[in-house]
Amino acid sequence: MDYEISMPQFSDTMERGKIVRWLKKEGDMVEKGEVIAEIEAEKAVMELQSFKRGVLKRILVKEGEEVPVGKPIALLELGEVREVKPPPPKPKEELKPQPLPKPEVKVERVGLPPGFASPYARILAKDYGLNLEELQREERLPSPTHARDVEELLLERQFTPKALELLKEYEIDLREILEEFPSQKVDEDMLLAFVEKRGIPKRLPISQVQKTLIANLSKSFPLPHYHIYEVFDLSLVPWDKDFTLTHWLIKVVGDAMQHFERLRAVYREDHYLVFPDSNVGIAMAVGEELYNPVIKGVNKKSLKEIREEVRSLRKKAEEGRLSLDDMQGGTLTISNLGMFGIRSFDAILPYGHVCIIAVGMQEEDGKTHITFTFDHRVVNGLHGALFVKHLKEKVLDREYIKFLKRSTHV
Amino acid sequence: MLYRDALNLALDHAMEQDPRVLLLGEDVGFYGGNYKVTDGLYVKYGPKRVIDTPIAENSIVGTAIGMAMMGLRPVAEIMTANFAMLAMDQVVNQMAKLRYMSGGKIFLPLVVRMPQGVAKQLAAQHSQSLEHLFASVPGLYVFCASDSTSAYHGLLYAIKLDDPVIFLEHVLLYGVDFPLENSKDFNPFQARVLKEGKDITVVSYLKMVHDVLKACQWLEEEGLYCEVIDLVSLRPIDFETIYSSVKKTKRLVVVYEAPKSFGLGAEVSARVCEELFYFLDAPPLRIAGGEVPIPYNRRLELLAIPTPERIYSQILSWSKSHGL
Repeated sequence: MDYEISMPQFSDTMERGKIVRWLKKEGDMVEKGEVIAEIEAEKAVMELQSFKRGVLKRILVKEGEEVPVGKPIALLELGEVREVKPPPPKPKEELKPQPLPKPEVKVERVGLPPGFASPYARILAKDYGLNLEELQREERLPSPTHARDVEELLLERQFTPKALELLKEYEIDLREILEEFPSQKVDEDMLLAFVEKRGIPKRLPISQVQKTLIANLSKSFPLPHYHIYEVFDLSLVPWDKDFTLTHWLIKVVGDAMQHFERLRAVYREDHYLVFPDSNVGIAMAVGEELYNPVIKGVNKKSLKEIREEVRSLRKKAEEGRLSLDDMQGGTLTISNLGMFGIRSFDAILPYGHVCIIAVGMQEEDGKTHITFTFDHRVVNGLHGALFVKHLKEKVLDREYIKFLKRSTHV
Repeated sequence: MLYRDALNLALDHAMEQDPRVLLLGEDVGFYGGNYKVTDGLYVKYGPKRVIDTPIAENSIVGTAIGMAMMGLRPVAEIMTANFAMLAMDQVVNQMAKLRYMSGGKIFLPLVVRMPQGVAKQLAAQHSQSLEHLFASVPGLYVFCASDSTSAYHGLLYAIKLDDPVIFLEHVLLYGVDFPLENSKDFNPFQARVLKEGKDITVVSYLKMVHDVLKACQWLEEEGLYCEVIDLVSLRPIDFETIYSSVKKTKRLVVVYEAPKSFGLGAEVSARVCEELFYFLDAPPLRIAGGEVPIPYNRRLELLAIPTPERIYSQILSWSKSHGL
């Protein structure tokens, strides 16, 4: 009997996967749970384990090819397989994801007698008043000379090593500095003074986390979405330093989501994928980065458990240890800027989420501006409105609040 | 959206908007096109607007020219660029010349579409890249599409033009899924800068663009940042975009699948040398196909055209031996 192995879905937003490497050949014996391939999706490489024992009969998708989730990628022949013995397990290193193999390149530099230079290097040398041929004879420039050789020579001649390091951080035209300091060697302090005087901008690198965020926001912003702006009365919510408003809102919202299945859904092209649990993401700023870890099964957790989980997620985020599993599975996110005295704001949906709740500052009478952003493909206006109305009622439900409060005591 | 579906959508939209637009070619109707580009259009628009022709390329283009002269806006499909050789008299002597020779009285709103390039083991007579033959003829526009965006918008633009256009597609791209960008003011006469970079300008078009982008990832690991320019029109070529990029990088590479000699690479690098000689920090590099008929054997076939690996290694060794 043949068993079809299909492209698995490793995360909610994964639509396609690429076979990075087959670890088994056709005809190889495969044990249940054994890793048979490495699959790349959404920038991560994951291992595909076989659910069954059998012989890998045919590989349907070659290495390097990408197919949609659910498409068959290999055939496994099941049944009584009489293999003398399973092949010895491969050494662990071989299972690590490997980057695309990069071809080896041999480089031979051209060497010519003094007197040769690229057209642009000649222009540069002339601009900076260098005598190319002389420098080439002194072997301070190679022949042929290229632009980079001229620039490197100038940099070395004109700057101290520390100033050179500093120079990399700024967007400076070399010519400008040389005009300012035509005959002196430039040190760190001189460079800093020059930078300040001219108001020269500094290059700030964009982190990988921020790049991913930019890509995701750019994907999700054009999606059809709408906002609901409401003022909530949160005077009954007994939050404090220990159990913050965010902890309370995660719980209240998570419970409310149980009554609205579309708030627990992920959009697929021809269906919704509805999670049984309320999985709530929190917008979490750590240093310059913004993370969106998810607390799963909020409906089944007490406030205390939620608080612990938020703490552990924050710790992980601070240490840069958030896993794919920590960040996926969410359908709704809470973003709270109230502690900074922000009265009201709206937020962009995290990619794949159907709702983001933007919480503003709580005023003295407990009034709080909360803005909801909904993915209209999943939550229509009526359900959005009903969800907001339900939440407004829940935060004023004394019995319910008292019940939650009880769980905060040891 | 699949490249082939983007072309299909462009044809569909053009036919919907303008009743004068019609299709003709071998198997474009009932069968839906050899590469399924015209799939479904026969059912939607009927045999009068989607016309199956005999296997006679010269007549296909000749008929289309006649239709265009009389006010229709035909889109002719030649099954592959290899077969367009049979239609060269009509293309070169009629299509390219009628507007000029009639003193501007005859307009030819005509598009001739065809795929070209190496697919997989289709052998020498079915694997050629022949863009340079068309691009060398004054009187023609030559467009090409490297992804679904330039396929959709480029083809629509070509159909709306009042002048004859050769529209080149690449056989290997038909089944590739690219995002279809909504660019309302798409201008095929403007080359697209697909990726910015400070070190090397790489000009390419059609499928090679994607191989170049792959090679660029490896080059970045070596600290070399390429600016990748995708030519959407091969006649005329948008030299301004190329010049302004080369002024920045001081280095030019042209990558194309056709044999190296007498190709687009010769044209582009010669122009850059003419205009920007004193800005160059290295001699221009052409990475192109071999001087052979494309072999049938898969290994030899891959040796006869640029691959991402070879683009990477050639650019790397060239830039290292020329001062980068």
